[in-house]
Amino acid sequence: MKCEWRQDVSLYVDDELEPARQQEVAAHLRRCAECAAAVMEHTELKKAVRIAGRQFSAPPELHAGIGESLRSADVRPPLWRWSFVVLSIVAVAVLGFVLFSIPRRINPEIAELVDQHITTLASASPVDVVSSDRHTVKPWFQGKLPFSFNLPELTNSRFTLAGGKVVYLGQTPGAELLYEVSKHKISIFVFQARGNERAASLSNHNLAFTVNAWSQGGLRCYLVTDASKEDASQLASMFQAANRI
Amino acid sequence: MQDCKVSAGGIELGRSNCVSAIAFRGDVSGLPNQDFEILALPLLDPLYNFARWLCGDADEARDLVQETFAKALKGFASFRQGTNFRAWMFTILRNTFLTSRTGLEWRRTEQEDEENFEESAVTHDTPEIALIRRADTEMMRQAIATLPLAFREVLLLVDIEEMRYQEVADVLRIPVGTVMSRLSRARKQLREYIVVTLGVKHEM
Repeated sequence: MKCEWRQDVSLYVDDELEPARQQEVAAHLRRCAECAAAVMEHTELKKAVRIAGRQFSAPPELHAGIGESLRSADVRPPLWRWSFVVLSIVAVAVLGFVLFSIPRRINPEIAELVDQHITTLASASPVDVVSSDRHTVKPWFQGKLPFSFNLPELTNSRFTLAGGKVVYLGQTPGAELLYEVSKHKISIFVFQARGNERAASLSNHNLAFTVNAWSQGGLRCYLVTDASKEDASQLASMFQAANRI
Repeated sequence: MQDCKVSAGGIELGRSNCVSAIAFRGDVSGLPNQDFEILALPLLDPLYNFARWLCGDADEARDLVQETFAKALKGFASFRQGTNFRAWMFTILRNTFLTSRTGLEWRRTEQEDEENFEESAVTHDTPEIALIRRADTEMMRQAIATLPLAFREVLLLVDIEEMRYQEVADVLRIPVGTVMSRLSRARKQLREYIVVTLGVKHEM
């Protein structure tokens, strides 16, 4: 009489059972000599087929022929011809770089700040101190940052303060202040000025976002927004005015 | 500034190389031929072996493999990265075989083949381990060769190529259930061949 597990034997040997079932069958095999013998027989047969069935290997001329056909299909020009193409592209790229990209060079810090701005926009809780009151937001940073700054008075302006949080740029802590102007968000990042740097200043950027950067009174400030350039520079001036000593 | 120059150059180079290579091949996507070579060349022997078992003739198998590689290279752009390349190559080989002389001949007689396959009265409640061990490679080859092609190809894909039932089903365009029944009948017939050839009366 056949053991009821026998139907799983070939599936077991072919490793086609679900892992849980595979284990069940394995456990059954320790109890059932009949199935264990069947598994051995299946395994022997499988092995014999594998050995006997691997009978032919491709003749050398087929290997060569296939290799050849692949190479001839590969009709790319030889390397030295590419080098001209490559060199001219380099030349154009370098020339273009020299002519156009110096003023709008995207430095890695700016790219990182743009990323930070986007991260903030995407976040469910974009700011850690939620307040439109600059007298709430500014003191919140006390003890969190090794420097202080002033926030502009926004009454009678189109801008509103949404709040702020601490961010890091190149291992130094700073403040991200989030503003809104007609549904657009503006981030102003404030960091401590580094001793050796030139005054950061740029307003023209080849990015989807407007980025303004300036240095004043020991602060490095960056403004990132998708709002209009006019709004960006207006808020930047207000911020600069508030921090003018 | 130096950094920027280099990286700007690097990006440009990478992109333009890529675009030109694609333009040269005249297709719209994909991987260069090099990648095809890396993926396909290790399959040359397995494909040839399978082809020999399908057609039974060295010249025909060689042509079949050559045609398979040509078709695969041509269609490589349509091969989706991350899917099963080996199964894809075997599928091309198998489809090519079906349009070959032997393949057409086989398709004409396939039905009879399956019908003529005799369910013998021999039962297999007792495994024949000792017999299988006594069967030498030559006898096993004979046994495999006597299998109807529909059974042989399933057996070879499972036992030699170690494909999953599902892969075999995909390559041969048959349901998994058919893979399983053909496999079981193939193995049954192998056992019977061994038993008969070794002249042992099965008395169980």
